[in-house]
Amino acid sequence: MTGEGVAAGTPGRLRGIDRALPVWVAVVLVLVFLMALPLGWLVWMSVSTEAAGPTLGHYAAVLQSPAMLKALWNTVVLAFWVGLASVAVGAPLAWLTARTDLPGKGVMRALVLASFVTPPFLGAFAWVMLAGPNAGLLNVLWRDVTGATEPLFDIFGMPGLVFVVTTYTFPYVYIMVANTLALIASDLEEAAAILGAGRFTVARTVTLPMVAPALVSGFILSVLQALALFGSPAILAMPAGFHTITTQIWSLFQYPPKIEQAAAISMPLLLATALLLLVQKRVLGRRGYAAVGGKGGQRRTIPLGVWRWPALLGCMAVMACAIFLPYGILAKAAFSRAWAQPLTWSNLTLGNFTFTFFEYSATRSAIVNTLELGIATASVGAVMVALLSYVANRRLIVGHQVVAFLALAPIVIPGVVLAVALFIAYTRPPLILYGTLTILFVAYLTKEMPVGYAQSDATFRGIPPELEEAGRILGAGRLRILRDVTAPLARSGIIAAWCFIFIGVIRELSASIILFTPATKVMSVVIFDLKEEGQFGAIAVLGLVMLALTFATVGLVQAVLGRDVLGVKD
Amino acid sequence: MPGVSLKALTRRYGDVAAVADLSLDVKPGELVALLGPSGCGKTTTLRLVAGFLAPESGEIWVGERCLSSPRQIVPPERRRMAMIFQSYALWPHMTVAQNVAYGLRFKSGLARTDRARRVTEMLRVVQLGGYEARYPGELSGGQQQRVAVARALVVEPEILLLDEPLSNLDANLREEMRFEIRRLHEAFGITTLYVTHDQAEAMVISDRIAVLERGRVVQVGTADEVFLAPRTRFVAEFIGKTNLVEGVAATPDTITVGELRLRVGAGGLKPGARVALSIRPHDIALATPAGAAGPGVNALRGTVQRASFLGDGVDYQVRLAGSDVVLRVAAPASQRLRAGDPVDLRIDPAACVALAAEERA
Amino acid sequence: MLPIVARTLAFATVVLFATLASAQDARVEAARKEGKVVWYTSLALPSAEKVAKLFEAAYPGIKVEVHRTGSERILGRVMQELKANIKNVDVVHTSDAGHFVMFKGRGLLTKYTPAGVEGFPAGFKDKDGYYYGLRATVNAIAYNTKALSAAEAPKTWKDLLDPKWKGKLVTAHPGYSGVITTHVAALVNLHGWDYFKQLAQNRPMLVQSAVDPSGVVASGERVVAVNGGDYTFYQTKKKGNPLEIVYPREGVPLVVSPTAIMSFAPHPNASKLFTDFTFSREVQQVMADSEGLYTGHPEVRYPADKPKLSELKLLTVDPEELEKRGEEIRKRFVEIFGA
Repeated sequence: MTGEGVAAGTPGRLRGIDRALPVWVAVVLVLVFLMALPLGWLVWMSVSTEAAGPTLGHYAAVLQSPAMLKALWNTVVLAFWVGLASVAVGAPLAWLTARTDLPGKGVMRALVLASFVTPPFLGAFAWVMLAGPNAGLLNVLWRDVTGATEPLFDIFGMPGLVFVVTTYTFPYVYIMVANTLALIASDLEEAAAILGAGRFTVARTVTLPMVAPALVSGFILSVLQALALFGSPAILAMPAGFHTITTQIWSLFQYPPKIEQAAAISMPLLLATALLLLVQKRVLGRRGYAAVGGKGGQRRTIPLGVWRWPALLGCMAVMACAIFLPYGILAKAAFSRAWAQPLTWSNLTLGNFTFTFFEYSATRSAIVNTLELGIATASVGAVMVALLSYVANRRLIVGHQVVAFLALAPIVIPGVVLAVALFIAYTRPPLILYGTLTILFVAYLTKEMPVGYAQSDATFRGIPPELEEAGRILGAGRLRILRDVTAPLARSGIIAAWCFIFIGVIRELSASIILFTPATKVMSVVIFDLKEEGQFGAIAVLGLVMLALTFATVGLVQAVLGRDVLGVKD
Repeated sequence: MPGVSLKALTRRYGDVAAVADLSLDVKPGELVALLGPSGCGKTTTLRLVAGFLAPESGEIWVGERCLSSPRQIVPPERRRMAMIFQSYALWPHMTVAQNVAYGLRFKSGLARTDRARRVTEMLRVVQLGGYEARYPGELSGGQQQRVAVARALVVEPEILLLDEPLSNLDANLREEMRFEIRRLHEAFGITTLYVTHDQAEAMVISDRIAVLERGRVVQVGTADEVFLAPRTRFVAEFIGKTNLVEGVAATPDTITVGELRLRVGAGGLKPGARVALSIRPHDIALATPAGAAGPGVNALRGTVQRASFLGDGVDYQVRLAGSDVVLRVAAPASQRLRAGDPVDLRIDPAACVALAAEERA
Repeated sequence: MLPIVARTLAFATVVLFATLASAQDARVEAARKEGKVVWYTSLALPSAEKVAKLFEAAYPGIKVEVHRTGSERILGRVMQELKANIKNVDVVHTSDAGHFVMFKGRGLLTKYTPAGVEGFPAGFKDKDGYYYGLRATVNAIAYNTKALSAAEAPKTWKDLLDPKWKGKLVTAHPGYSGVITTHVAALVNLHGWDYFKQLAQNRPMLVQSAVDPSGVVASGERVVAVNGGDYTFYQTKKKGNPLEIVYPREGVPLVVSPTAIMSFAPHPNASKLFTDFTFSREVQQVMADSEGLYTGHPEVRYPADKPKLSELKLLTVDPEELEKRGEEIRKRFVEIFGA
């Protein structure tokens, strides 16, 4: 476009009066404070002792402890298999919905979206009820039908954990691959077809190499998710007698707490995620998404022919595992006296609802806390990311690249590690935030900033600077332009950012489980508490409430943005 | 109506100077084209004038006001200018009328009814009467461009800036719009700076052309001057097609190229100096069989290497006897020579333009 | 029919008694001004909520904030809050007596003797008057009656080591539950750590709370619970679930669950009122009737279908011993069972 006017890394595209400059600078400082302070404490804590000076003793203790090493190993195994499985599930699904004449594509996309926003720990609960080796309904059915004595599938254990985590992680791969496929023109595939390649050969030899960066990227994102999860391992691994790093860190917080060791074992996790993200960035290049040559031309669908219905069946099977079965069992448990018993009239009850909302005193305050925190975090977060991405996009200050980097940096920190860091930072003078909702607020804001930033960054990229310059040269000051031009055009994108942050907050567990106190419980923590009491009915009720909140917000995003919230183009 | 004066402007990106010591004077009411290849600094210059960039050194004067200097810069909203962007930059959430009316809000003393009247009037002028309630998304490229023009003109700016406004249009529309812009300029008479890389466009639209190369103005003049009397190799090659012939000056008005002698119209050559000549292909005539060369006209002999029939003319490549110089000749289609045919060429000395000596870059 | 009537009468008596008492008690006014009691309790959630609701009905205007989690978690919670200088909790009630030895040693408790505990057995009273046993339970074995007949069911703790139970057992965790910490301590005293090493060979399912095993067995997910508070088994059985309790002949670990008021309690008067309330005969009777708990109150009558404490061989563990060995117990359990 206006090539010469804009060279990369050039500040001061609109110099002159910038009365708003202090605001930008303040926001950047807040960001640094949010990120740097707790991380600094984390590193410090991992090498400190009460009396003596710095030591590597905690690292030694961690590396020599067989339990810790086992937890590390389990985490690696889990992450690796989840990554592979997510690619194996997500990529074909993306290809089927983006490229072929699979029936019901719109429904499929909606279901993938539902899977994406379902909190994995709720899915884990549901699968305990479905595939617990003795009472799980699927196993009961299997035994009834086939007369076997052994269960079909024991959900407690590594395979079960990998299975459940994958069903809620494959959407990452799906999104990456589907978005890439949207950019590839059909001509490339048709050229191969004309030369005699069948459609699956085409997929394997032409399409696959082109989406390879997206596959690698999706793999890495899935691995990152699996590394950071707390709820699913706590529900499925601990009863089977093994830990992952996240559950191990959590158990180090039980009395008597070994915070230094928790800090020490957090570091490898942190370094691993940082490394993976670095690799992912390299793979994708500077654009941040799989850049495929060409303008994306016309895309025609590939006919599946005789494979149509088997493919549909396969997709539905995946969706059954992610949505139909778990949601169904949650609904059943919510309305049953005894979830394992068949749904007869005598088993139906609203008692779980009355217990949850009226007899269990923690519920109401937890729901209030969750909503308060959700709204506060989303509102402050949306304003912050709007300011930050505006500053970065318009290059308003020197060092604007740092702004983008910092805003996205929290993605490197797993929730549990962030919680440990915040715990260390804010349970000591001068700022003791532990025990208040504020520490949860800080944790959520830090954790959800990247997703909000990504959205608002995309929003401002879609508003070319010329639109603002055109107004300025006609006589409007910068603030006037923000009001007349920028804000109206950015509004729906910022609202979407708000929604993404909100959804992230209400389902957050891994940081909350470390930072909560009885006075500051949130819904996810209450659900987790109820698990330890075995109160499946109440869990199901709260789970359904959480899902309802989530889907209501998703609906809002779609209404506001007017397109699929996954950003997958048609 | 003030003029614009650019005095020794410099603006760097990193350690590359996008604009280097650039000076230019635009007379009041004049339309000057900033012409050059991409990377020559023309857009940067325009943005310096608009106030989106500040110069590292140099000054920008509009009339009696100094608008930009390294110490102080008047912000874009107070420079009383208007700009038409390559992408038109129409606001998608506002109607055509709202887009056009926007700048009028900041002019004092205008009642709302006045504004509406002016908007309607201007839309009529750009032949978009009746489109007030449409949105930019509903318009074609050409229509969007005209909205951008209307939006800029309605505020009666002192200076009008255009940044390659036609490059997004298809060829036919571009030609049509060239004349339209020229017509509007003649109607409104606003001092205008017009950035383009298309020399035909510059020649049609502008009063004068400033040719930019690597951040500097290498020649300013009317279309005639720039075309017929290019001062440097770059200008000669950028504006129209040309032959470049290098030789050594023998006398103040002749040069030798190998065994050939050529008379140069302007004279003033330093004997012994290396000289490059620019000779336009259509200034080279094929000698009619009967004609003898006029007095002083360069008469050369050569062989046709290649002949390409273009419909309205023929493009020859002729190798001159007695040297390894190959000239491109644009001849009318009346004579059709073939490769290998001998040919006599006639070149008026005035068509042999000596170019300024250049530093080898 | 009868139990319902009895329960309603008990409830009414409680309310009446308390209402009469409150009219005369100036302390009630002070408690009302404080407005609430914050109660960290390891008593099973429905039971805890019930006690809270009874109190709120008897003393309108004073709320009970129930925070229920496992004994060991409560300890961690209290210590964490102390460290961060958060003074939130009034009354702490767990099933790990060792905690209270530690609390007392650090001066974290208010010396307060609830009304009417003079008749309680010695095991329910701290000699210095800082904490008192609110309730008691014993660890027992429970099995799913649909999967096993009474003859097939295990009779002793040692029976559980039989390889035929591999994959069919569930155990709760001393890292979470005070009831289970006592259980492990008692059985280690009885059979040594080898007992648990062998038990681990049978790969029991690990749950956290002493309340959990009853649900796991009732649903049929596992067939036999190797430990758990017998009061939870009793409640589950009473609800009609297919569960039966076995009190092993070698002895059942007795767990007395103390309660105390913290020295920094933000609502001291309400705390004292609440404590008195929970030790009153009426509430203690409610605990025995509907919750299946044992109490120290001499006047409480127990359901006929539950063995009396005097009929059982009780394995006791000293609170001081629990305090000293608690961490070691938890650590070795994790080592043996993996998590």
